[in-house]
Amino acid sequence: MGFLKGTAGFVRFSTEGELPEPFWDFVAERVAAFSFKDIDDTYDEFSIGWVSIHNMFDSEFNFAAYANGDYVTLALRIDERKVAPAILKKFIDKEEERIKKEKQIHKISRSMRTEIKERMRVELMRRAIPIPSVYELCWNVADSTLLFFNTSSKAHTLLEDLFKETFGLTLTQQIPYNTAEHLLDGDDITSLARISPAVFV
Amino acid sequence: MDLVDLIVEKRFLGQEFLTWLWWKSEERGGSIELPGQGDILVIFEKHMLLEFGEGEASEKLICSGLQSELQEARTGLTMGKKLEQARIRLAQNEHEWNVTLTATLMEFRSVRLPKTEGTEQGSNNPEELEGMVLERIFLFEELVRLINDLFRIFLAIRVGEQWRGEVLKIKTWIDHTRIAHTET
Repeated sequence: MGFLKGTAGFVRFSTEGELPEPFWDFVAERVAAFSFKDIDDTYDEFSIGWVSIHNMFDSEFNFAAYANGDYVTLALRIDERKVAPAILKKFIDKEEERIKKEKQIHKISRSMRTEIKERMRVELMRRAIPIPSVYELCWNVADSTLLFFNTSSKAHTLLEDLFKETFGLTLTQQIPYNTAEHLLDGDDITSLARISPAVFV
Repeated sequence: MDLVDLIVEKRFLGQEFLTWLWWKSEERGGSIELPGQGDILVIFEKHMLLEFGEGEASEKLICSGLQSELQEARTGLTMGKKLEQARIRLAQNEHEWNVTLTATLMEFRSVRLPKTEGTEQGSNNPEELEGMVLERIFLFEELVRLINDLFRIFLAIRVGEQWRGEVLKIKTWIDHTRIAHTET
């Protein structure tokens, strides 16, 4: 969301944990291991991985496209097959009608309904085209900080999990309180823990 | 305390920072002095979101308009509403940013970077592309640094003895708003 062009929205994270040396070899190996795998020609429902910030189809990272000066810049790509609830319901109802007619019964049993539901879900899921989402990030390795160009908490959770798997580092979103802990020292941090809300009226 | 609890229990910190920053920016007509760097421009404009209460019972008040028309937002403050989101224009030296800053999560939304030659190139040349990316990173980090510098000034006052005096000044500012509003 706007890292490379136009208006941007982002949140800040801090990174915690040790990084192995040589750093850039480690990054190359781990980014390759967790790069994005296309699911257009499979029946997989979900895929998540890293792609280049310049091109969502580039998961090869020729010429180390994730390195920008001392920064690691990556895009998190998620492809997900989804079926709208209304479509699923329509196909379940349709299948139930077909079976009732075929078997000449008035009512579908609970177990049969569960089976139809699951079968229709899988069938429709396979026919659905994966919907892509791409979120960019910029990691300042020296400062252990990261800008993530999306403000949805769902995307944050996916980022935190993939980042941990890829680099073994824990991300913590920087909200005012923990930002304050980074900006203050010693006694002031103790004082910060004790403050209570002010009343302005 | 885990992050979810911190967000709920300490949300007043970000809201107080935005309210303080609004007052501070008006104290000297939009200028705030950063130690060792001189004055920077901080203008609250166009869009504000105030909140009152918690969870399902919370009320929201969205105010938009020109700077002079943010009267409703000021009146909201006099009713105990908290500033949750504000559109801010920041300028230092020849660079100017626009950002909508949220109080509880400190999100940087709808960020407009200063226009520089380096950020406007549509080049495919790898070296120029890397230069453009680095220029944008620099400008994003400069914005974060400025907000953090302002936040640091606020925090030093907030955790210290000066805070009581500062609250009185903010109260007076809010009261003036109330009087001005009643007169109009």
